[in-house]
Amino acid sequence: MLKAWLVLKYEYLRHVKQKRFIVALLSVPLFILVIMGISFLSVIFTIDNTPIGYVDNSQFLANPIMLDGKDKGVFDKPLKIIAYDSEQAAQTALDEEKIQAFFVLPADYLDTGKSKLVSKKIPDSNVTSDFRLFLRTNLLRNYDQKIAERVLEGPDVEIKAIEGGRERSSTNILGIALPIVAGILFMLAVNISGGYLLQAMVEEKENRTMEIIVTSISPTQLMVGKVIGNLSVGLTQIITWILFGALAVHFALQSFPSLEAGHIDTYFLVIMILTFLPAFVMVAAMMAAIGASSSEIKEAQQIASLFTIPIVIPFWFIGSIMANPNSPFSVFLSIFPFTAPVILPLRVALSSVPFWQITATILILVLIAIFSLWLAGRAFRLGLLRYGKRLSLMEIFQKAQV
Amino acid sequence: MSTIVVDNISKSFGTKKAVDGVSFNVEPGGVFGLLGPNGAGKTTSIRIILDIFKPDHGKVSIFGGAMTEAMKNRIGYLPEERGLYQEVTLEKCLVYLATLKGMNEKKSQERISEYLDQFNLSDYRKKKVKELSKGMQQKAQLITTLVHDPELIIIDEPFSALDPVNTQMVKDLLREQAKLGKTIVMSTHQMYQVEQLCDRIVLIDRGKTVLYGKLSEIREQFSGNEIILRTESPLPTQIPGINSINSENGNLIYKAHLAEGVSPQQILQYLLSQNIILKQFEISSPSLDEIFIQVVTKSGEHDA
Repeated sequence: MLKAWLVLKYEYLRHVKQKRFIVALLSVPLFILVIMGISFLSVIFTIDNTPIGYVDNSQFLANPIMLDGKDKGVFDKPLKIIAYDSEQAAQTALDEEKIQAFFVLPADYLDTGKSKLVSKKIPDSNVTSDFRLFLRTNLLRNYDQKIAERVLEGPDVEIKAIEGGRERSSTNILGIALPIVAGILFMLAVNISGGYLLQAMVEEKENRTMEIIVTSISPTQLMVGKVIGNLSVGLTQIITWILFGALAVHFALQSFPSLEAGHIDTYFLVIMILTFLPAFVMVAAMMAAIGASSSEIKEAQQIASLFTIPIVIPFWFIGSIMANPNSPFSVFLSIFPFTAPVILPLRVALSSVPFWQITATILILVLIAIFSLWLAGRAFRLGLLRYGKRLSLMEIFQKAQV
Repeated sequence: MSTIVVDNISKSFGTKKAVDGVSFNVEPGGVFGLLGPNGAGKTTSIRIILDIFKPDHGKVSIFGGAMTEAMKNRIGYLPEERGLYQEVTLEKCLVYLATLKGMNEKKSQERISEYLDQFNLSDYRKKKVKELSKGMQQKAQLITTLVHDPELIIIDEPFSALDPVNTQMVKDLLREQAKLGKTIVMSTHQMYQVEQLCDRIVLIDRGKTVLYGKLSEIREQFSGNEIILRTESPLPTQIPGINSINSENGNLIYKAHLAEGVSPQQILQYLLSQNIILKQFEISSPSLDEIFIQVVTKSGEHDA
């Protein structure tokens, strides 16, 4: 397999060392950085840190606990809250723009829970949310500190299904976002690598190097080298982007801790890798087969774009799948090889998927991946010296002897 | 042991029979000519020998057996469809192809640099292949064919894009390789290129073998019915045993076709008996071109 390694190395370095590749590699993170920078700037400029006031007619805030904001991020400091004796005093402060809004708690506040907000403009959401937290904190101050904390933070329910025995936390946002993000990345990786692979296959034809190559190396070794080499180019691109993305997420989490970083589940990661890898090889080998059987890059790209459609399909139904991760439709999509790499990890993240479904999906993917490689090898052998002539799918299956 | 044994191979593409029952052996050492007009089935035969195509019938044995991956490193092949990776530099392209033939990278770099010097391509080593002229690319491809020091060299139409200077260079190179004991199979439709190079030939026409054997023997087989004469004074118009006689530009050099069953010796005896003073008496040996035309037109008549 030494020669397959040579092909792999050549294919990989040929792309990675090109200026075009480096530009493509850096353009996406750069784009994200610019977008992030702009949004952060806009947040900074729009945040109104003017204090808010309140008039307490019910007297329960006589000696209030102030919010310390120690759990909050850089851009999310709690607003200063100032007490006023009368509505008039508060109104004056509002007119003088010392405060941006004030709340009035009526005398019967504790019975009705009603309050009034006075502001010159429609207040930002943090005005009400900060004041609400302030109220809640003070309402609970006579309780045990731990009880108060539980009430304020809400319950963190762990769902434990009888079948699977896998635990999932309902507040683990990352656990749900990850399969969707991973699915998008998978789609990107398939597209990028597939593009490189198609190009590499058709180039071999356009350059008429086929004869030299097949008298130097076996078609199987050539295919293995080409498929893995070009997949690695795509993966390099994706992994670089993931690293930049992780950096961005890290930064975002520091700024907005309310997003709450959940832990990444290793079980989920294993399932994801086990579906992604064979699916990746499957699509790549199919693209290689197309590249080997068509004579022009344009034609090959048109046919190859058909392959990306089934990979996109799951994103159309993502809502219904998230609402109903164990419906027959969801189960079907998670087993169907083209949609499996996106849907199976999503279902695993959302609910507990029976073991047989996971095994069946991965098994089908592996079998189809092997079949696709065989098909690619065959298409390569048959399409070898046909310049300017397309190879039909029927021919690949029919011809007993090459 | 023969280096290549081609045993009754046939191959059809659709309804067209490209190769139809061709057999020949290539012995180790020397240059073997695979000849024939365009479309005779030469390239298809080579592709079958190299296991690029599988034959419909018949079989090929190479180095005493069926083609294996290990054998590929012992063969150098210059395909008729020339092709190099166009988007990379010449040196990178050549090194990659050499390593695919089992050479290590360092060794291949040294050898390629020697060959580039020899072929006057050193200035282009960092240029992209697509920037090279057709002739340069062909020379570069020849480097790929020879760089791994193969025992068997198979070259298909080696002179097609070369000028006379480069053609001579390639011929010298092939002679040199033959001297080193390499086995060379050369396919061409330009018969005159083969005459000084080949020891043995097979001539294919329309997929079928029409001539096969030692070049000297084939020549002999086709010689003897034509003699070249140079005389002091004009020859008589009628000489017994001579069918026709032409003089070239009337300058006392004659080409005479002998009648069937008449030997050149009998003519010589007759001329001497007539006291004709001879400056030259030569049994003409036909050129391969002439033999080729003779054989091909004959086999054409046969078919019709």
